Amino acid sequence: MRKIIVLFGFLCAICVQAQDYKFGKVSKEELEQKFNSTDSSASATYLYKYRNSFFEYTQEKGFELITEVYERVKIYNKDGFDYATKQLSLYKSNSNEENFTGLKASTYNLEKGKVVESKISKSAIFENEASKYKNKVKFTMPNIKEGCVIEYKYKIMSPFLSNVDDYVFQYDIPINKLYAKFQSPEYFVFKVNTKGFFAVTPKVERKTGRILINTKTRSSGSGFSSVRTSFESSQIEYITNVSTYELDNVPAMKEEPYVNNINNYRSSINYELSYTQFPYSRVEYYSTTWEDVVKNTYENEDFGGQLKKTGYYENEVDALLASVSDPKQKVTFIYDFVKSQVKWNGYYGYLTDVGVKKAYKEKVGNVAEINLMLTSMLRYAGIRAYPVLVSTRNHGIPLFPTREGYNYVITCAKFDDGSEVLLDATSSYCHLNVLPFKALNWKGRAINEQGNSTFVDLYPKKLSQDITVLMIDLNEDGSIHGSCRKTKSNYRALTYREKYNGIDKDDYIEKLDNKYNGIDILEFEVKNSTDLGKPIVETFEFEKESQADIVGDKLYFSPLFFFKENENPFKLENREYPVDFGYPFQTSFRIIINLPEGYKIESLPEKGAFSLPENLGIFQYNVVGMKNQIQVTIKSRINSSIIGSEYYVALKTFFSEIVNKEAEQIVLTKV
Amino acid sequence: MIPKFFVNILFVFTSFLVVSQDLSYNALTISPDLKKDANAIIRLNDVSIVMETASKMYTKGKRVVTVFNKRGNKHVNAHAYYDETTKIKDLKAIVYDGFGEPLKKIRESDFKDVSAVDGGTLYSDSRVKYLEYTPASYPYTVEFTYEIVNENTAFIRSFTPINDYFLSVENSQYSIAYGEEIQLRTKENNFNAIELIKEDKPGILKFRVKDIPAFEPEAYSPATNVLLPEVMIASDKFVYEGVFADVNNWKSMGSWFHNNLLKGRSAISTGTRSKILKLVDGVDNPIERAKIVYQFVQDNARYISVQVGIGGMQPISAIEVDLLKYGDCKGLSNYTKSLLEIAGVESYYTRLYASRDNVLNVKNDFVSFQGQTNHVILNIPDNGNDIWLECTSQDAPFGFIGAFTDDRDALVITPEGGQIKHTKKYLPEESLQSISGEYSLTGAGDIKAEVVIKSMGIQYDDKYKLDSETPRELDKHYKTRWRYINGLVLHDFKIVNNKDDVIFSENVVFEASKYAKIVGDRMLFSVNAFNRNREIPNRYRNRKFPLKINRGFKDVDVFTITLPKGYKIEALPHDVLIENKFGRYLAEVQKIDETTIKYSREFTVLDGQFPKENYAKFRDFFKTVAKNDNAKIALIKTNTNP
Repeated sequence: MRKIIVLFGFLCAICVQAQDYKFGKVSKEELEQKFNSTDSSASATYLYKYRNSFFEYTQEKGFELITEVYERVKIYNKDGFDYATKQLSLYKSNSNEENFTGLKASTYNLEKGKVVESKISKSAIFENEASKYKNKVKFTMPNIKEGCVIEYKYKIMSPFLSNVDDYVFQYDIPINKLYAKFQSPEYFVFKVNTKGFFAVTPKVERKTGRILINTKTRSSGSGFSSVRTSFESSQIEYITNVSTYELDNVPAMKEEPYVNNINNYRSSINYELSYTQFPYSRVEYYSTTWEDVVKNTYENEDFGGQLKKTGYYENEVDALLASVSDPKQKVTFIYDFVKSQVKWNGYYGYLTDVGVKKAYKEKVGNVAEINLMLTSMLRYAGIRAYPVLVSTRNHGIPLFPTREGYNYVITCAKFDDGSEVLLDATSSYCHLNVLPFKALNWKGRAINEQGNSTFVDLYPKKLSQDITVLMIDLNEDGSIHGSCRKTKSNYRALTYREKYNGIDKDDYIEKLDNKYNGIDILEFEVKNSTDLGKPIVETFEFEKESQADIVGDKLYFSPLFFFKENENPFKLENREYPVDFGYPFQTSFRIIINLPEGYKIESLPEKGAFSLPENLGIFQYNVVGMKNQIQVTIKSRINSSIIGSEYYVALKTFFSEIVNKEAEQIVLTKV
Repeated sequence: MIPKFFVNILFVFTSFLVVSQDLSYNALTISPDLKKDANAIIRLNDVSIVMETASKMYTKGKRVVTVFNKRGNKHVNAHAYYDETTKIKDLKAIVYDGFGEPLKKIRESDFKDVSAVDGGTLYSDSRVKYLEYTPASYPYTVEFTYEIVNENTAFIRSFTPINDYFLSVENSQYSIAYGEEIQLRTKENNFNAIELIKEDKPGILKFRVKDIPAFEPEAYSPATNVLLPEVMIASDKFVYEGVFADVNNWKSMGSWFHNNLLKGRSAISTGTRSKILKLVDGVDNPIERAKIVYQFVQDNARYISVQVGIGGMQPISAIEVDLLKYGDCKGLSNYTKSLLEIAGVESYYTRLYASRDNVLNVKNDFVSFQGQTNHVILNIPDNGNDIWLECTSQDAPFGFIGAFTDDRDALVITPEGGQIKHTKKYLPEESLQSISGEYSLTGAGDIKAEVVIKSMGIQYDDKYKLDSETPRELDKHYKTRWRYINGLVLHDFKIVNNKDDVIFSENVVFEASKYAKIVGDRMLFSVNAFNRNREIPNRYRNRKFPLKINRGFKDVDVFTITLPKGYKIEALPHDVLIENKFGRYLAEVQKIDETTIKYSREFTVLDGQFPKENYAKFRDFFKTVAKNDNAKIALIKTNTNP
C-alpha cells in the first residue's frame, strides 16, 4: 500500500512538471491558477518565455539575424492587464530595417470549465514610425479577463548583425520557465557580458551548419555547340556555437527609492560582436577589450579627430589668455569661455554630430562637441587635458567593454602639483569638480594622447554641505522671530542654482513661505548665485506662530522648530539594492534661542551621538543651557556616495533615530 | 468681376503683413509691464482662416514668440498636426537674436516629424511636425509661419489669445473669412478685464487683443479654461469626416450625431445577446438589470485607446468591442449602451469634458464640440433620477462617476436629439470619511493603535484603487498617510470595498515607538493621531483670482485613548468650534476616567466660489485647523510615594 502511495505521489509530481509549452497547449490548470504561489503579489507571470536568436544565410541577402520570440503570460488581476499590450522597437538606418513577421497570438479563458481561445485580429496590430531610426510595433490582445492566459509568437529579421538585443532574465513580474538560445556561426565572434544580482550561466555546445550556394554559369559555345547553362551547387560547412539558457522560477524585480538605476542589477546577458572572420577574408575587429574600445574611439574621426582641430578658436583663445600664465587660472578662463559660447542642445553621446567647428560657429552642440572642444582648447593652452568617457545614471554602469557602454564625455585637467579637476561645460551651473548629477556614475575612462586609458572615479570625494545658523527669539505666546543664514556648497549649491536661479525674488520668497508651511519672511538676500566658485549664502529674517506648545505655565518646543526632519525617507522594511545618494553630504545646524523673559529652563534633551557602521555616517547632537539662552548644534553626515544593502537596516534606523532625536522637546517654566 | 469671397481672402491674408511691418523683433524694447512674471511673450499671433464652403478650411498663421529664459522655451510652440484630413501646406521658422537680427532659417524638412501618440494611447494615425531648437542665449525670438488645409470643419479653432501661465501677449489677432453659404456663431468669454477689438463685416469676422500681462497660477482658483479669455466660433454647416451637418442648437446637433455617428453601430453577436438575456432573466427592476449589464462589461472588456480616422468622435461598432473585448471611452460606452438595450434598459450616449481639476460645462448656449468635450459616458434617465455610467473603469461601482466627470453640464444624445443635463454632484456630507479608532500609550511613549476608516463619495473615489494594491504598496501607503508618526510598523490591515453601498472600509492595526515624547516627569503627545489636516494653502501677497473650492467633504472622527500607567493628565487642549462660510471645524477632548480620554473631531469643507478677498480668511481657517489638529496633551508622572 505504501508503495502505491509513493508511486501515486511521484506520478502527480510528474503531472505538475509536465507543462506543455507548445503554442496553443494552454492547460486548464494554468487558467485555474488564482495567484503565483511563490509571489502572491504578482499581477502577472511569464509562464514560459522563449527566445531564439540565430544567423540565417540566404543567397540574396547574405546573413541575417533572426530572433524568434514566444511568450506565455498568466494575468492574475487588472493590474496585470498592461502585459496584454506588447510594444517593440525596430531599428532602421538608410535602406536597412528590421522586419517584424509571423505574429500569432491568442488569449485563453476558462468558460464553463472549457478552455476558450480568442485569436488576435489584424486590426489590433499597429506599426508606425517613431523617428528616423525607429519603427514601433504594438499589439494588444483580445478578450482579456482576470485569470486569462495569453500567448504570442513572432519573428524579427534584422540586417544589423552586430546589434543583438540583450538577453534579459529578470522582469517586474516573475518568470516560471525561461528558455533562451543564441546561435552564431564561427565567422562571428561574440563576447559575452553578464550582469545582475541573479547569476546565469549558459550550456554551450557546437553544432554544424551548412550554406548552400547555387551558381549558374552560361558558357557561349564555340563552333557548332550551342550556348550552355550549367547549374552548380556547392556547400560550405561551418560550425555554429550554441548557448542555451534554461531558468526556473525567476523572482520579480521590485522598485526601491534611492536606487541609481535598477537596470544595473537586472540580470542580463549582452552579446557584443568582437570580430568577424569569413573564409578567405581578413579578420575584422569590432571591439574586445577596453583598450580596443578606447583605441577605436580615439581613432574615430568624430572623437580623436575633433580634438586635433584648433584653427577655429585659436584667435579667440589667444586673446582670452593673453595675460594669463597660471595654469589653474587658464583652466577657469577656458571653461567659462566654452560655457558662455556654446550651449548644450540636450543630446548625449561621446561622438560629435555636426563637429566641433560647426558647433562653435552655431553656438550649439551635443555633449561631445562641447567637452571635446573644451579639452582641445585646454591642450592648446598647454594644459594636460583628457577626455573622459562616462556612462550616465540612466544609461547604467558599463561593466563590460562595449562601444555602447559609454554615452557621455567630460574633461579632466591635470596640474603639475598632481591635482586634477573634472569639468563638464554643458550645464551653466556646473563648476570645477561639480558635474551634473546624471554624470555621477561609478567610474569614467580618461583617454590620453597615445590612446591609452585609465579609470577616473566620478563619485565626488568632497562633502556637499548645508549649514544653517539660526538666531531665534522665542516669545511667551509660542511665536518665534529669528534670522536664518544658510550656506550651501558643491552639489547642494548646484541643486539650488538649477532650481532657483532666474526665478523672480518675490516668487522665490513665496515658495520659501510655503515650503516652511507659512512662515512670514521679512528680509531676504541670496549671495553668490552666479559666482559658482563660492557657496550659496541665503539669509532671511522670519516670523512664525505657534512654534511652542503652551501647557499650563510651561512651554514645550523642539529646538529645530520647523527645520526639523519630520519623515524617514526609508519606508521599506528591507531592500535588495544599494542606496545611492550620489555624493557625500553633511547637514548642520547652529541654533541660538533666546528665552522669553520670565522663563527658565526646566529640562533639555540629552546630548548624544550615534553613527553608522564602517564610518559611513554620523549624527551629533549637542545642547547647552544658559540663563536666558540655549545653544544647540546638530550635525548629520553621510560619508559615502553609496551605501550597500547590507547596511540598509542600520541606515533606516539611523534616519529614524534622527527624526526622534530632532523631535525631542525643551521645556521652559515660568519663574 | 472678382467674387466677393476672393476679395476677402486677399484682405485676410494680407492683414497681418500690415502689423508685422512695424513690428520689431528687438527684445529690448518690450514694455516692462509685459516682461514682469513672463518667461516668454507672444509678440504676435495671427491666425487667418478662410472657409468658403463647409467642406474645406484654410488656416494661415504666424506666431512670433520672444523667449526670456529656459522656462519659456515651451511657449515657442512651433508645431503642426496632420492626418488624413489635415494637410500641412507650408511650415517654416526664422530665429532672431535679442536685437532682432536673424540667426537661422528653418525649413519644413528640418522640423521633426513624429507620431502624435501620447503615453496613454496605443495608436493614433495623427502625426506632428515640430521645431526643435536649442537657444545659444536668451532672449531670442522665433517667427513661425504655417499654412494648413483641413477637410474637417466641425472644429474651428477658438480665439484664445492666452493659454498658459508666465506668458504675456503683445498682439494677438484672428480673422475668419467665410463664404455666403456659411453662418457663423460666436461666443465671447471672460473679456471683462481685457479689451476685445472686434470687426464684423459681411463675410469676415476679426478679433484682436493687445498687451496682456503674464499671470501666475494660484491654488484654489477656477480652472484656466474657465478663467481665460476666449472667443468660440462655430459654423452651422460643417463637414466631419465626409459627413455634412447643418445644426444650430444642441437638439439638432444631437440628432445629427445620433443619425450619422451612432446609428447602426449597436449590433451584438447572438452569443452575447443570449448571454445577456439569460443574465437578466427574471429580474424585473430595470436598474437591477442595468447593474448586471454593467458588471458584465466590467468583467469582460478593458480600456484601450486607439485613435484611427473617424475614431475621433465615432465609436467603433459594438460588435467589434464584443469580439475584441476592448475599446476606448466611445467604444465601451456604445457597447454598454447596446447591451443595455438588449436588457431592455434605455440609456444615452453622453459627451462631456472630463477632468478632475478642470470642471468645465458644455455650454448650453453655444453649439460646437470644439474644446467642450473630451470624453464619453452613459446616461440612464431612470425617470428623472439620472444615473451616470463610466464605462472605461473595470472597478468603479455602478453609477459612481467620481471626480472625473461629476457636477458639470453634459450633452446627452438621444434619438430625438441632444439635451444638456447636469451630472451628479457629490454634496459635502455625501463625501464622508469617518474614522473610529482607539490607541493606547505605554510608559515608554510607544503607541498601539487600531482604526476603522470608512470613506464615501469623493473620498471613496480617492481610495478605492487601494483595493487592488499589493501588500507591499499598501504598507508604503499607510506609512505615507501617517508620515508624521515616525517608525510606524503595520501589523495588520483589512480592506473591504463595498461596491453596492459605495463604502470603502479600511481596518488598520499599527504600532510606533516613542510617539509620545518623554520630557523629565512629563509625557507630551498630539491627541489627534489618525487624521491631521496639515495642509496650509499657499499664501499670495497679491491674490488675483477668485477662491474656488471644487468639491466639499466631511470628516468625522472619534478616538478613544488609553493613557499609560503611572501617569495622570496634567493639561488637556481646549475644545474648539469654528464655523464660517468655508466650513466647520469641531474638536473636543473629554476625560472619561483617570486613564481614558475621548477625542471627537469634525471637519467640513464646503464647495463654492468666493471673491478673491476671501482667500486670506480661507487660508486662516486651514491654518487654525492645522494648528488644532496638532494640539497636545501633557501627562505627568503620578507620585509613586504618596
